[in-house]
Amino acid sequence: MASEAAYRTNVWVDWCPACGNFGILTAMQRALAELNIPPDKVVDVSGIGCSGKTSHFLNVNGVHNLHGRSIPYAEGIKLANPELTVLVNGGDGDLLGIGMAHFVALGRRNLDIKVIIHDNQVYGLTKGQASPTLRAGQRVKSMPLPNMQDWVNPISVALASGYTFVARAYALWIDDLKEILKAAIKHRGAAVIDVLQPCPTWNNIYTPDFYKQRLYKLDSEKDWDPYVKGPDPKEVAEKLSRAFAKAQEWGDRIPVGIFYANPYVESFVDNVSKVNPMYMQMSPAKNVIAKDDGTPIVDVPTMRAIFKDYIINVRKKHN
Amino acid sequence: MALKEVHLLLGGPQGAGVETSASVLTASLAGLGYGIMSDREYYSNIVGRHSYVHFTISATSFPRSLTYPVELVGAMDAESVLTHFHEVAPGGVLVYDAGVDKTKISQVISMEPEVRERVEARFKEYGLEPTVGNAAKIVEEKLNAHSVPLDFRKILDEARQKLGVSSVEVQRYRNSILLGAAAAVLGVDPEVIRDGLSVRFKGNQKIVNANMVVIGLTMESVPKDVRGLAKLDEPKLDVEEMISASGNDVIGMAKIVGGVRYQSYYPITPASDESVFIEAHQAVSVDGKPVGSIVVFQTEDELAAINSAIGAALTGVRAATATSGPGFSLMAEGLGWAGHNEVPLLITFYQRGGPSTGQPTRGEQADLLFSLFASHGEFPRIVIASGDIEEAFYDTLKALNWAERFQVPVIHLVDKYMANVISAMRMPDPSKVKVDRGKLILKASGPMKRFDLSDPISPRPAIGSGAITWYTGDEHNEWGHISEDPINRVKMYDKRMKKLEIMDQEIPVEERAVYYGDDNADFLLVGWGFVKGAALDALEELKQEGYHGAYLHLKVFSPFPSKYVADILSKFDPKRVIDVEHNYLGQAAKVIEMNTGFEISRFILKYTGRPMYRMELKEAVKRILEGKSVREVLTYGE
Ligand SMILES: Cc1ncc(C[n+]2csc(CCOP(=O)(O)OP(=O)(O)O)c2C)c(N)n1
Ligand code: SF4
Repeated sequence: MASEAAYRTNVWVDWCPACGNFGILTAMQRALAELNIPPDKVVDVSGIGCSGKTSHFLNVNGVHNLHGRSIPYAEGIKLANPELTVLVNGGDGDLLGIGMAHFVALGRRNLDIKVIIHDNQVYGLTKGQASPTLRAGQRVKSMPLPNMQDWVNPISVALASGYTFVARAYALWIDDLKEILKAAIKHRGAAVIDVLQPCPTWNNIYTPDFYKQRLYKLDSEKDWDPYVKGPDPKEVAEKLSRAFAKAQEWGDRIPVGIFYANPYVESFVDNVSKVNPMYMQMSPAKNVIAKDDGTPIVDVPTMRAIFKDYIINVRKKHN
Repeated sequence: MALKEVHLLLGGPQGAGVETSASVLTASLAGLGYGIMSDREYYSNIVGRHSYVHFTISATSFPRSLTYPVELVGAMDAESVLTHFHEVAPGGVLVYDAGVDKTKISQVISMEPEVRERVEARFKEYGLEPTVGNAAKIVEEKLNAHSVPLDFRKILDEARQKLGVSSVEVQRYRNSILLGAAAAVLGVDPEVIRDGLSVRFKGNQKIVNANMVVIGLTMESVPKDVRGLAKLDEPKLDVEEMISASGNDVIGMAKIVGGVRYQSYYPITPASDESVFIEAHQAVSVDGKPVGSIVVFQTEDELAAINSAIGAALTGVRAATATSGPGFSLMAEGLGWAGHNEVPLLITFYQRGGPSTGQPTRGEQADLLFSLFASHGEFPRIVIASGDIEEAFYDTLKALNWAERFQVPVIHLVDKYMANVISAMRMPDPSKVKVDRGKLILKASGPMKRFDLSDPISPRPAIGSGAITWYTGDEHNEWGHISEDPINRVKMYDKRMKKLEIMDQEIPVEERAVYYGDDNADFLLVGWGFVKGAALDALEELKQEGYHGAYLHLKVFSPFPSKYVADILSKFDPKRVIDVEHNYLGQAAKVIEMNTGFEISRFILKYTGRPMYRMELKEAVKRILEGKSVREVLTYGE
């Protein structure tokens, strides 16, 4: 097992004291260390917001990009080089507001990317406006008026979009989060972990106190088993509807843990391999595109072969 | 007498196969050794609206422009006759369906009201009711040309019997009546068309034979006196092999040859066909031996298209996307990220009529300024525009090299005309452009300074190379970590902007602007993109009339070849420098002024959505040279 410290940079972490993001960061470092994935084979793709800075604090390849666009960046990276472990860290605003179309699209593609939602119900870095996970009527510290828009439920949206691994965790239960992260990374397909993240600076509703009184672990329920055991549509339907039902619980009792996991759905990488059998051995990142003398590997004879339907041989003689 | 150059127009409702006929004819005539190009004009509609293909066929050269009138108008329906009969050249032919002879313009409900008004006015001049029969009469009596009503129903009925197919199925071969008519008027052996059909239908003999039956029956029905009326000279082109393809296809080919292994796109006319072409060739193998694999990723929108391509580029893959105006608007933010993070990325920008969704299936060159300035902040980029498909092929290879060598995004400007032109092109030679991957590092280890300041162009370890690197859209330090330090800011800003100078020094000026003409030309046309062919051909014709001009073809707008262009301009009387473009503002003239201080004051502009035709350009040049006007707006073409 690699050391947790190997996954840490020396960049100063500039989150507010007691921010839930610290828990997420620690859990990520531990999960990667326990899985022993070489840092250079991991890419952390992050959006804009407090959460987006995560990339700089992790000693793995970091791509801190535009607000809402992490998922497309991650998809390009994964498709070009399917051997990399690709993680996305983004805020609830980033992933479920401006980036919602990408969030849904990743689910239906089931591309092997792990999305970690830093769900603090606010736009942290722009000073506490309501995010898409804040309920209607609620009013956190910085809001002049109560919220007029109701929430999207990240778990329901993820299940409906086709994610094959859907979980919720709590940022301050670091070990549980770490285990879920490990399971998500090992899962072959698109994974979402909605991490409930206290934002002590702006969010005076969803506080550690609030969570402490309400959170319970799905595992603690007898018979709870989110894993689909075979490619059986009936079982899938059952597990999905149980997961949907659990996703509706938000009140006195709030479940955390794995809601749904189905390893039997073909991933996007599998689908690409199906139409293009040489994809895995010759993924784009492994292509050699020039010969030793610098000329393109696709030379005239190769062009003739590849583009044969477009090549016209001129008749030498005609009437 | 045989002709050096022939022009045709084949029209019919969208979806009726006019486009197929065009590609068959192109393959057929290229197979004989003729040069051929065709422009396809169509509405933003899938089935039913008026569409046509306009050809130039040459015995001596690869044609590069279109002109009117045409030796043959072949019409599949009444609308095509009514819309185009006046474009038949003296001595030319109108071939149409006898079955619509009695059709009045009021019965052609698909015609746009504005077109209808113009057509009615044309008939009024001749004092005739606007009907198909009267159009034929005008062709015969006023235009001194021939009209040939063919009984389409009879031809198809006979074909149906010969082939033993249903009356529904035989309709599929209806467009071959136009091919038969073209073969008859051009005086070519129908077997030549068989070759073209075989190419188009990948050797499917059943389809080829069925079409040949229709073609044969048509040729027999064409009266003797018009057969061979537009016979071409013996072909003089010295070629053994050609590529017959659309601009979209050719750019797709160039991307595959140039090593693009990741292409993302969101469907948009006229860009998507390029991605579809690449997808069809994604498994690059020769004789069963794999050469490479390409991912073509259809995304949920253009935001995802550009940003996923950036992601792919970070792994060291040559990555590209293709779009047109509305899509590029959405890409602007991602473009800035790529510029800021020094990511090599190719964006093929197919301009079409704007603003907004504008004229989605028509051509324009109104996105030059947008390409140069899109996205916020300042960062270096390359903007290159191609004048024809052969240029577009080589420009794509160069663009890919420049992107990696200078670590900048490259915008390759083409347009709808080029996208949809089907041409026969000389087989390109990919060895002319060596692959230059710049400072890409494919094997490394540990944390590395991606933005090392010791050189404006830093070593670029790919993600996956073993190195660990960071990127951010915020200002960064050498490690790629966020920094708001003012001194670092200046260093990084300067590092990036310095590339403008480096590119200006290292990209040869002759690849950025091309002067066509000799030293004693006494006027100058300045243009870019698809204008090139019309301008060069118009100049040749003008020369025969005693006007001696030159053409300055602008190719790279960033980094702009300021000194070279300024030197050329200074040699001309400013009143005899004419900017020629497909837009309203004269955007290239503005770029010239911005970079050289030279103010162009004479303009020939066209923004109807239709290409500039040789004859209208020629006349406009004359009017300007004669001092009759300083700004000509061209409008020819339906
Ligand atoms: C296109 C765009 N719009 C707006 C912003 C401004 N912006 C910066 S951070 C942010 C909100 C981030 O909120 P969230 O994603 O919930 O992350 P958090 O800060 O709470 O971790 C916004 C809107 C931006 N950077 N880009
Ligand atoms: S504003 Fe909230 S989310 Fe952002 S760092 Fe502070 S506590 Fe964390």
